[in-house]
Amino acid sequence: MGGLLELNGVTKRFGGIVAVKELSIKVNEGELVGLIGPNGAGKTTVFNLITGLYPVDEGRIIFNGEEITPLKSYEIIRKGVARTFQNLRLFPRATALENVMTACQNHLRYSFLEACLHMGRWRRYESAIKDESMYYLEKMGLKERAFQRAGTLPYGHQRRLEIARALALKPKLLLLDEPAAGMNPEEVAELSELIVDIHREFKLTTMVIEHHMDLVVGVCPHVICMNFGEKIAEGTPNEVMNHPEVLRAYLGEEV
Amino acid sequence: MPTYIEGIIILTCINSIAAMGVSLLTGFTGIFTLGNAAYMAIGAYTTAILTMKHNLHWLPSVILGGLLAMAIAYLIGIPTLKLMGDYFAIASIGLGETVRLIIENWEPVTRGARGFPGIDSFTTLPVALTFFIILTWITFNLIKSNYGRAFKACRDDYLAASLLGFNTAKYRILSLSISALYCGIAGGLFAGFMTFLQPTMFDLQKSTELTAVVVFGGLGSLSGTILGTTIITLIIELFRPISQYRMLIYGAALVLVMIFRPEGLMGEKEILSLIRGMGRRGEHGRPT
Amino acid sequence: MESLIQQIINGLSLGSVYALIAVGYSLVYSILLFSNFAHGGFLVTGGYICYYMLTLTNNNIWVAGALSLIGAGLSAIATERLAYKPIREKTNLTLYLLIASMGMSIVIENFWVIMAGGRFRALPPVIPTYPIRIGSITISFFDILVFLITIAFLTGLEFFLQRTRWGLAIRAAAYDLRVAGLMGVNVNKLISLVFFLAGLLAAVSGIFLSVRYTLYPQLGFITIKAFVAAVVGGLGSLRGAVIGSLILGTAEMLTAGFISSQLRDVVVFGALVVTLLFKPTGLLGKAISEKV
Repeated sequence: MGGLLELNGVTKRFGGIVAVKELSIKVNEGELVGLIGPNGAGKTTVFNLITGLYPVDEGRIIFNGEEITPLKSYEIIRKGVARTFQNLRLFPRATALENVMTACQNHLRYSFLEACLHMGRWRRYESAIKDESMYYLEKMGLKERAFQRAGTLPYGHQRRLEIARALALKPKLLLLDEPAAGMNPEEVAELSELIVDIHREFKLTTMVIEHHMDLVVGVCPHVICMNFGEKIAEGTPNEVMNHPEVLRAYLGEEV
Repeated sequence: MPTYIEGIIILTCINSIAAMGVSLLTGFTGIFTLGNAAYMAIGAYTTAILTMKHNLHWLPSVILGGLLAMAIAYLIGIPTLKLMGDYFAIASIGLGETVRLIIENWEPVTRGARGFPGIDSFTTLPVALTFFIILTWITFNLIKSNYGRAFKACRDDYLAASLLGFNTAKYRILSLSISALYCGIAGGLFAGFMTFLQPTMFDLQKSTELTAVVVFGGLGSLSGTILGTTIITLIIELFRPISQYRMLIYGAALVLVMIFRPEGLMGEKEILSLIRGMGRRGEHGRPT
Repeated sequence: MESLIQQIINGLSLGSVYALIAVGYSLVYSILLFSNFAHGGFLVTGGYICYYMLTLTNNNIWVAGALSLIGAGLSAIATERLAYKPIREKTNLTLYLLIASMGMSIVIENFWVIMAGGRFRALPPVIPTYPIRIGSITISFFDILVFLITIAFLTGLEFFLQRTRWGLAIRAAAYDLRVAGLMGVNVNKLISLVFFLAGLLAAVSGIFLSVRYTLYPQLGFITIKAFVAAVVGGLGSLRGAVIGSLILGTAEMLTAGFISSQLRDVVVFGALVVTLLFKPTGLLGKAISEKV
């Protein structure tokens, strides 16, 4: 049986630099996968390739049995992929609630005419969108912050809001790009719990990029390590942590 | 013929309709335009030609003018809206100038630079008010819907928007088309108010004015746009006796607003929500 | 054949006037990343200063010209200091700068409407415009002069940018203004210098245009064509701006000469549309991509 997400020999070059080299990854349905590697290993590039932000130079990406390599970002998202960003990309001037509502409307659609005249499905769907958004905010512990502008929220809350917004897309696959970046140890611990909770509760296949190994090791049963655009190790956290290539990659850069 | 006061109110309604179109495009979708007077021109000349040369009733003429402007905007939008930022603004200047040049040179149809006289005076106060109220209602509805949120998402971060599943190109084209429809209808009503058209009425200055009132009122505030239009229309009328200083003041005001209150009169807020603001704050401040 | 060569020379002359405008406009764009719509105002200011100085100095074009260049350069600095500096210090949204520049363009235009009146003025005949004959071709001495002076100014600018410390700083700032600031470049001084250069070049073109056509407050509108040239050549690229200007000027004069003078503007905007459709970054523009 094929996995939910498969990368087959994916290569991406920027000018003369090979950012991702013949990468093959398989993520099965329901898995929680950690993607680790030193700075500049090409982790975020992998996410950008999956979500169609960069065109793939070589290889194929298959999602849910369908090839998504040539699709545009919004088409890939509509197939059931959601992601967060390393440097937050919230709508800072909109409220937390509006941020999540914007994502909710992808599956609660009504026509242009209904929107202009506030008739038909408008009332029913708008209140459904609102309720659903509040639900996701509550899940992420942000209910009290619903009417605050996203840009004025504390940093840790903004990170969680971005996850709430991604969940509101009702994805099959969630990609989290360094969700713990800039957080203190307490917040990181809280976040690890949250990620495990989400994964369990929504039965959501999740891929986490992390620079901090401790978070990944504690949370992800399946870990992939990259360096210089190549996969250098894959397996359980223990296997990967003790892999000589991984040790070299990390010890070479930081202890 | 309308009285002087009636005239000012009619002009405010017409300008507001056009400005609401630009507001949707610039204020809510974040696409900066300097060519929307072209769509007013298309609406105005279509209405004039249909009513005068083909004896069509003014109402379908105005609506057809709006739809033609919309169709042209749609065709122009497909290639040009791929351009971001200043590029589209410059492209829109090019478009505006091209439309003006075509009207000036297509004499058999548009009567060229000397102008198109003798249009029926059909834009009475009730007509202008009816159009204004209906279109205002629709625009407010639109921004308080999934389309409004989609436009704003494209404005605030088009990349994040496309990664929330929005076809940003489609929404940008939609926004331009709607703004052209509004400007086209405003142009048609303008033809029926002035009874005389000239290509220079729809020059770069007019396009700039449309964008300026939107910025003045506050980008992302529809009531701000209407308020801004009203104030600017009144200023232009009241300062008419000192017309050379009028433009100087207008230009300086634009600069001063950008320096001291770049968010415009209303910021991103609507008048109604400001009034309701107090009550709402109390409501949500309660511990839950 | 003769008329073809004549029109091409005409076109290159017009194109070099556009180039003077487009280069200044591009220079500002490359540093601050916004379209300065007040650029036409610098041109008109240069034209009027030259006009009034000619009457004061008994038609001494050297003095009047120099004062006009300096005056327009200073007016550009003043515009930046009064209108743009307070905005760029507060926000990095270029939209506000764009609108402020529209405001300043209206202010400068109407300042001259009030000061000089709206009527058309001809510069006294201080710059020779008599025809000269080379073989069977008749060309205006003025066109040659415009072309040569433009080359001189653009070479001077190139020399300044490539060989001087401030030129190096400007090139660094075009690459990344913030980083240039971190490297110890006085950013405000640098921006003033860029505006001075832009105003100075605009004044040269303003004098040429006043001789070629006439001088009036709305003369600045012609900068739209230079903007188009800058876009065709690639926004932010100075070489691109020059190439785009020469192409546009030649295309315009050829259209006016062989098809119809009413269509000359249509050709300009047609070139804009074609560029934006097929190569939106222009002939020499750099593609901009965003880091995610």
